[in-house]
Amino acid sequence: MTVVLASVVLPVVLAVGIALAGNRGIRVAQVLAVAGPGGALAAGMSLLASERASSAVAWRSAWLSQGGASLPLGFAGDALAAVMLVIVGVVAACVVVFSWGYMAHESGRPRYFAVLMLFVAAMSALVLADNLVTLFIGWELVGACSYLLIGFWYRKPEATRAAIKAFMTTRVGDVAMLLGMAVLWRAAQTLSLDGIVAALPKMPQATVTAAALLLFVGAAGKSAQFPLHIWLPDAMEGPTPVSALIHAATMVASGVFLVARAWPVFEASGVARATMLAVGVLTALYAALVALAQTDIKKMLAYSTISQLGFMFAALGAGAWGAAMFHLATHAAFKALLFLAAGSVIHGSGTQDMDEMGGLARAMPVTAAAWTAGALALSGWWPFAGFFSKDAVIAAVAAASPGASWILVFTSAVTALYVWSATFRVFLGASRSDHAAHESGRSMLAPLAVLALLSAVAGWAGPAFTERLGAPEEHAALATIAAAVAAVAAGTALAYALYRRAPERGASLPGGLQSAARSGFGVDAAVHALVVRPAVAFAQWVARVADEKVVDRAVEGSAALTGRVGGMLARLQTGEADVYASLVAVGFVLLTAVVVWMGGR
Amino acid sequence: MIALGLSCAVFALGLYGVLSRRDLIGVLVSVELMLGAGGILLAAAGAASGATSGAVQSIALMVLLLAAAEAAVGLSLLLALHRRSGRTRVDELSEVSG
Amino acid sequence: MSAQTAGLGVAIALVALGAVGAVLLREVMRVLISLGVFLFGVAAVYAYLGYPFLAVAQVFVYVGGVLVLMVFAVMTARRDRSERPAFVSRHDVGSAAIAAGTGAMLFLGLRPLFQDAGFARSSAVSDLAQELLGPRLLAFEAGGVLLLAALIAVAAALRGGEDR
Repeated sequence: MTVVLASVVLPVVLAVGIALAGNRGIRVAQVLAVAGPGGALAAGMSLLASERASSAVAWRSAWLSQGGASLPLGFAGDALAAVMLVIVGVVAACVVVFSWGYMAHESGRPRYFAVLMLFVAAMSALVLADNLVTLFIGWELVGACSYLLIGFWYRKPEATRAAIKAFMTTRVGDVAMLLGMAVLWRAAQTLSLDGIVAALPKMPQATVTAAALLLFVGAAGKSAQFPLHIWLPDAMEGPTPVSALIHAATMVASGVFLVARAWPVFEASGVARATMLAVGVLTALYAALVALAQTDIKKMLAYSTISQLGFMFAALGAGAWGAAMFHLATHAAFKALLFLAAGSVIHGSGTQDMDEMGGLARAMPVTAAAWTAGALALSGWWPFAGFFSKDAVIAAVAAASPGASWILVFTSAVTALYVWSATFRVFLGASRSDHAAHESGRSMLAPLAVLALLSAVAGWAGPAFTERLGAPEEHAALATIAAAVAAVAAGTALAYALYRRAPERGASLPGGLQSAARSGFGVDAAVHALVVRPAVAFAQWVARVADEKVVDRAVEGSAALTGRVGGMLARLQTGEADVYASLVAVGFVLLTAVVVWMGGR
Repeated sequence: MIALGLSCAVFALGLYGVLSRRDLIGVLVSVELMLGAGGILLAAAGAASGATSGAVQSIALMVLLLAAAEAAVGLSLLLALHRRSGRTRVDELSEVSG
Repeated sequence: MSAQTAGLGVAIALVALGAVGAVLLREVMRVLISLGVFLFGVAAVYAYLGYPFLAVAQVFVYVGGVLVLMVFAVMTARRDRSERPAFVSRHDVGSAAIAAGTGAMLFLGLRPLFQDAGFARSSAVSDLAQELLGPRLLAFEAGGVLLLAALIAVAAALRGGEDR
């Protein structure tokens, strides 16, 4: 069982090794780096293959013992963790291999691969945690790795700004999550997940709802749900393989994983589930509309990710965490594929702006084929993975709230519209740039092939998947499936009508709507005006009043006082032995006086 | 109690000598006074506490040895200093001043 | 007034007179003589307390050794001066206060240890050799090494003086 811990330990060792090897050893180190995701994949596979014990403890310890209480630390493997380990392992391995080619011309590769390995270790720790403390440690570590990789090109001001924005925004969610943990600690006297579940029946309803809502805010921050989604589009400043791994497939999905992991808490609170459903549906529709208006291929994919995460949260809100996890798994495959294909396109064409691409299918046929597989999966065409998982989500939501399911069906149509518009604009028509595009190298195409295969066939694993997880299974109603398929077909057809003939036409929305949607309907600006600007103003006030007038004066005053006292004391240092002797005697007299006065010995 | 008083008084006198004498030999003499005070106190405490005579005497003997060694080294330093500069006064020797 | 009390009185008087003289007198020879008186007094106190060997050692080491050494040093250091050798002192209230305070504090601090017993004479018979060669052999040997080190230090210090 402890062999599972290799998925945590091995990447850490690799991270340190890569960092130490530096630039000189990077050509060897980047090959060895595949072993890190490989360890996670092997651990996940061995967990899946092992007997169907619900949860097996790998390692457990206590931390910061204070009186009768201590913080638990520990790892345990179960089916949920195994699934996540497999996802992390596969996607991370593909990303590492892809990065050999994509990052070949970059300096700072040791930093890149070391942080990537650290991310794999942190993600493994997150999914294997058997208590909220260990989970939170992994949670923060993946956040830190995300921060480091968004800011990989730290000389670019946009990159550092995006990194800080991502860190600060997720911090809002993390504070809420900490509060939720505090609520649970107070009510259950433990943070171990088993202990919390055992204590749930005795908790008052209000406590459970508060804890569930707070944990959900934490999950929403990490998974970029409205209105905490604003960091994810900016996070695209990082290298594209990183976007594929962290900001599409794994880390942003850890919010969904958290809810699934702590599912009994959410199951016990109807208010929290209703909130999740509402936020998920709203986010899905909103992000899909914004994605329509994007011209930057990575930003389009980022909004698409937000939208798909909204689908997952809607499924969670409807009570179908199995469907949410299934969509998480298939989404990891096809969104990583789309991101890596986009990376290949960017690598080959030298631009991220879709307005400057076009006709790339001739120059990059393999990339175009891979992208098409990803687009088919994302839009939900049979028999690709997205069809099964998205329909499972829509069916689950339909069982809980028919109105919400119709919004999701409409969102499916929008999804098909934006992804196919992008496909036609990028790969068909005439080239709109004077840059001669070229196909990427073999190390970049191989991961695309693997992920394309997974996107094509993973959907068939659905029933086995939910059964292995032990989640309640939803049976999709025929009417819902039909509606969803019709919506996808409509969206695709509209995209074809708009762009097949004229791939060079720009926006797909009418003028005013286009610019509004492109800026995310002003959410970013609103957050800036309502939160950031007051916070900055307050910080400036603090700096002006509290810092300069109070802290600075205290510091400078104490420094001046020390200097003056020192000057006075220096005059005692005459160098004459008898002065020193009298000082010794005076000290003795004072000390003895104290002792005698206290009456002790 | 008499021995304690005597010893404290002699120690105080010796300290006063160390502080007021300007001459190295005078300081040395005063230090000898302080050591003698310590010896008296040691002997008196030994007698008062009923320790074996051997124990008290051997400890006092050690103090005596230390004092003798100290006096010898101190005097030789004094002579070396005198040869070097002709000065043996404490207030002229402030080279350790910081 | 018994002979014992009289002996104690004489010893105390010797100690007190010698100490005062050694600190306050100005002329070198008188200071050294006062020191001799003081050391004799200490030896007398030792003898009175029942430590005859200590008293003898005190006389031998101090009066016979240290004092003669000091006289010799004074003679060497001042042989080229024509005026009569004298000590310079800077008597001031501050030093006196510090010294008096130290003595008083010593007395106050140590008094509890002497509360139950007076100036009692020890009746134990000296068995110094056994003590020194038994449990305190290490300390005894260390004392010997210390004296040797002091001798070497003296030689080194005087040689260094000659070089200059």
